[in-house]
This record gives sequence, C-alpha cells and structure tokens, in this order.
Amino acid sequence: MTANIESSVPGVSRAIEGLDVERLRRAIQDEYAVVASEPDRGFHFHTGRRLAAILAYEEAWLDGIPEGAIASFAGTGNPFSIGPLQPGEKVVDVGCGAGIDSLIAARMIGPTGRVIGVDMTPEMVAKARASAEEARALNVDFRQGFAESLPAEDGWADVAISNGVLNLFPDKLAGLREIARVLKPGGRLQFGDILVAKAVSEKGKRDIDLWKG
Amino acid sequence: MDFEITWRGDVYKDAPQASSAAKFGTIGINFRARRARNDDEWARALAMLSCTV
Repeated sequence: MTANIESSVPGVSRAIEGLDVERLRRAIQDEYAVVASEPDRGFHFHTGRRLAAILAYEEAWLDGIPEGAIASFAGTGNPFSIGPLQPGEKVVDVGCGAGIDSLIAARMIGPTGRVIGVDMTPEMVAKARASAEEARALNVDFRQGFAESLPAEDGWADVAISNGVLNLFPDKLAGLREIARVLKPGGRLQFGDILVAKAVSEKGKRDIDLWKG
Repeated sequence: MDFEITWRGDVYKDAPQASSAAKFGTIGINFRARRARNDDEWARALAMLSCTV
C-alpha cells in the first residue's frame, strides 16, 4: 500500500536534492531547544497560552497541564478540533515538542489508552517527560526520535496527531509513509500544520534559514 | 485518504519577530485523513484522485 503512495501521488514532496538534511536538523533542534528553555524570548511564531487561545484550545483541555508544557507550545493548528480522541485509543504524537498535545490526548483516551510522543530535540523531550511526571500521566511515553523512523510497531496507532511539524520534514513522503506504517488500517490522522500560498523555489527549498522562518 | 482541510487561519499575525510567512502567504491549517482499511479501498481512492500541482 505504501509503495503505491510513492509511485502514484503527485505533489508530495520527496527528498530535496542539495538540501543538507543533517544541518537542517541541527538548525531546527537549536531553534526548538531555545523554545524549550526560553519560551518567552520572542520568536517568529507565537507560543504558550496566547498561541493556544489563537488556535482555539479549550480552557478545559489545559486544566492540569503543567505550565512548562504550555509555555513551550509552538504549534500551528489544533488537532483536537478535528475530532475528540476516544477512551482506550492508542495515539502517536509526531513532533510532540514539550508535550502539550500528548498530555491533552492522554487525558482524552484515559488509563486504558496510550500515547507515544516523539520529538527529535532532546531539550523538548526532557521537558515533556518532566511535565508528564508533574501531571502524573502514566499513559504517555516520550521518546526522542525522527518522524522518518517512529519508535512504534506497525499498525499500533488508532490516531496520529501532529502540530506544526510536517512542514519541517526534509522528506515529506518518507515521513508520511512512516506515519502510515504505524497507523492501523483505517487509522486517523489529525494534524495542524502550515500551508504556503506561493510556491517555494528550488533554491529556497535548500535555504535552511527559510526553513526556520 | 479522505483528506480534508478543516480550518485555515493566520497564525503568524503579530508574532514577536518577522518571518517569511507574509512573503509566501503562509497560514496555519488543520487537516485530517485516514489510512485506507485495505488495498482495495486504497486502489479505489487512487483511481478517483485528482490533483493539480
């Protein structure tokens, strides 16, 4: 099934020729390490409670979520506005950052469900783990890793959520293929991300500063 | 399959630092999709696919 995705769907960006993927990843990690450690510094995107309000996060969802996880929130959408998660479901949060969405999901699915939050930035994963401990969320597990090699078994997840991360995949097709792998047949994808109205040039696609903002 | 953009919004307006968002008309979106239940369903979805790039 995934082979057909690769061969048959136009418009899905694959690996970009000339893009230094390792340098891009380091640049993104550096940026989001600052979002983890100094969330109020001021970025080209909103963060924290102000952002949650812009994205229509319900106050009830944020009740009991540690302030650290909220402060370093840097999403671009609202995966939960698409539909609620159900008790007992298994969820993978791709690019979980400081863990706000994973912790909201953990509460929605309850003790019989499970969340795996994955992020490539060590500082974000550390902050997410601290928040899970503070919130006593026992049904969520934060792991460091890349979207292109998610630490979850084939067909494990009922739902994949993500928020502002797909645009940072250097190879969209590889990331989407991996998300399809961990989803059960019929499994749902509920993502927030960004859309550009004007095409980015091939040179622009290799410009790491442009990827960052 | 069943891809749908459910929301669009200007999430960069009044951000603390300037960015390329305005230059590229960048907006925030929510979208949903699902993995096909089986190969037959996926094949039917591909056959109906229409995409302009």
